[in-house]
This record gives sequence, C-alpha cells and structure tokens, in this order.
Amino acid sequence: MTGLEAIAAHNGWSIAIVGVTIVFTGLAMLSIILSQLYKVLDFWENRDDFFKRLKRGDAAEDLPDITVSPDMQETVRQYQMLADRLGEPFSLPKLLDFAQKCGLVNPHATINRLLKQNVIVPDGEGYYRWHQAISG
Amino acid sequence: MPTDIQTLKSLDLFEELTSEELTQIAPMIHPMKISEGELLTQRGEPATVFYVALKGNFIISFKDGQAFTLHNRGDIIGWSTIVTPFLYTGTAVALTDGEVLALNGDDFLQVIQGESSIGDKIMSKINPIIAERVPYFSRDKARRDLPPAETE
Repeated sequence: MTGLEAIAAHNGWSIAIVGVTIVFTGLAMLSIILSQLYKVLDFWENRDDFFKRLKRGDAAEDLPDITVSPDMQETVRQYQMLADRLGEPFSLPKLLDFAQKCGLVNPHATINRLLKQNVIVPDGEGYYRWHQAISG
Repeated sequence: MPTDIQTLKSLDLFEELTSEELTQIAPMIHPMKISEGELLTQRGEPATVFYVALKGNFIISFKDGQAFTLHNRGDIIGWSTIVTPFLYTGTAVALTDGEVLALNGDDFLQVIQGESSIGDKIMSKINPIIAERVPYFSRDKARRDLPPAETE
C-alpha cells in the first residue's frame, strides 16, 4: 500500500492537520508576544515610575469624591483636551500657558477653580494630575 | 498707606512680634491690590519685594514646569529678598484677584539684620517655609550644575 491510500490508512491526514494547527497556533502566539513586547520593555525601563505611581494611586484613593458642577463640565473637557497634549502628570504653568494661547476665558481663575474643587490635584512632585473620578 | 498693627498681628509671620516691634515695621509694609494674572516675581530676576498674601490665590512656578499654589492668608512670596544671592527662585503669578502686603526687600533685610529680636522671630517663621520649597529650586540648581553633555 502506497501513496494517498497509505496516508489515509495511517491517520496521515489527521496528523497533518494537527501539525499545521500546532505550528500556526505557535506562530500566532509568537506574533502576539512580539507585538506586545514593547509594553513589557517599557514597563521594565520605567518600573521605578510605575511603583511611584502605584504609591500615589494608593494615596489618591484617599481623595474625597468630587462632583463637577454642570457649568464646569465643559470647562473640564476643554482643559482636559489641552492637558492631553502634556501627558500625565502635567505641568500646571504649561497648562495655563496653553489655555492663554488658545484664548480661553480667565484661565488663571479657571485653573484655580479646578484646583479648589480637587478636579486637578498635585502629585507631590510639583506636577499635577486629574482627579481619578475625572481621568478614570 | 502703612498697614495697621492688628492686620500684622493676625498673620502667622508676625504673630510673635511685640506691639513695639510691629509699630517699628508697620510703616514699611504696604497693602497692594492684585489682579488675576498679575506677575509678582520673575524667576532669576533680582528679588526686590517680599509679599505676604492677605487674599487671593497664587501659583509659583519653576524651571521644568514644576509649580505649587498658595491659597491661604499669610502665605509668603519672595523670600529670596532676604537670602543670598537675592534672586527670585520662582515665578509668582496671581490666579485670582487678591490683596497682598508688600515689603521693600532692602528695608526688610535691614530690619532682619539690624534688629536681632525681630530678625530671629521672623526667620523662625520663614526658615521652615524655605525648607519646604527648597526641593523645587534645588532640582533646578542641580540640573544647572551638571556638565553640558549631561544636561542635554
């Protein structure tokens, strides 16, 4: 017995399908791992920052809940859009500068209001973040 | 117009001064109205005026975008007027309209250096504030002191 008949008689087709499946599954997993590898490397390089953020996160949980008044919601949205360009934590003077350049009304007083309402909170290192309830 | 003694006495910075001492320094302290966005001090510029906040909110910013804000009566701005090299370490801007007491830096330094009792009492209040703020401008200094290749 030779050829296709022999392959069929000794489960050759099944073995071939299983083999192909194993190889393609392996390749797919490998490609997924490689595509996410930069995140692992980034985490490893910035692991100190991560643990600092973790500590700050614990502290942030102690922050009081906040409720943004309806008239402030649009303001928060505008300032969040500006702050997005700065990343987080962000520099408050730079946010102020952006707001002035964009022609927003009373940027100083507005930022003061956001600070007083705990919408923007200091990170303890001279920079600022959005309250978890806002950024989350 | 000089500030009244009661106002000075109510401020943490001057609370330990006797009535005679307050009377002595009152003529050199002047209230000033401040507008939103007004610049009080500019980092790196000669420190010529010392401010004590009466009303309003202020932001003090440093190199690299670090900053902190002041919201309380009695907060001080411009301690560099009495500490060498007499250059402002931060830029102070009013976040809201407010009111401050302004002291000419030279006069203030003269009183602190010339009147040991007043100087000791005031410096005992200012020193902890300077210590709190040192991390902000010392990071600036540390970066400035690095060789050029490392600062890039």
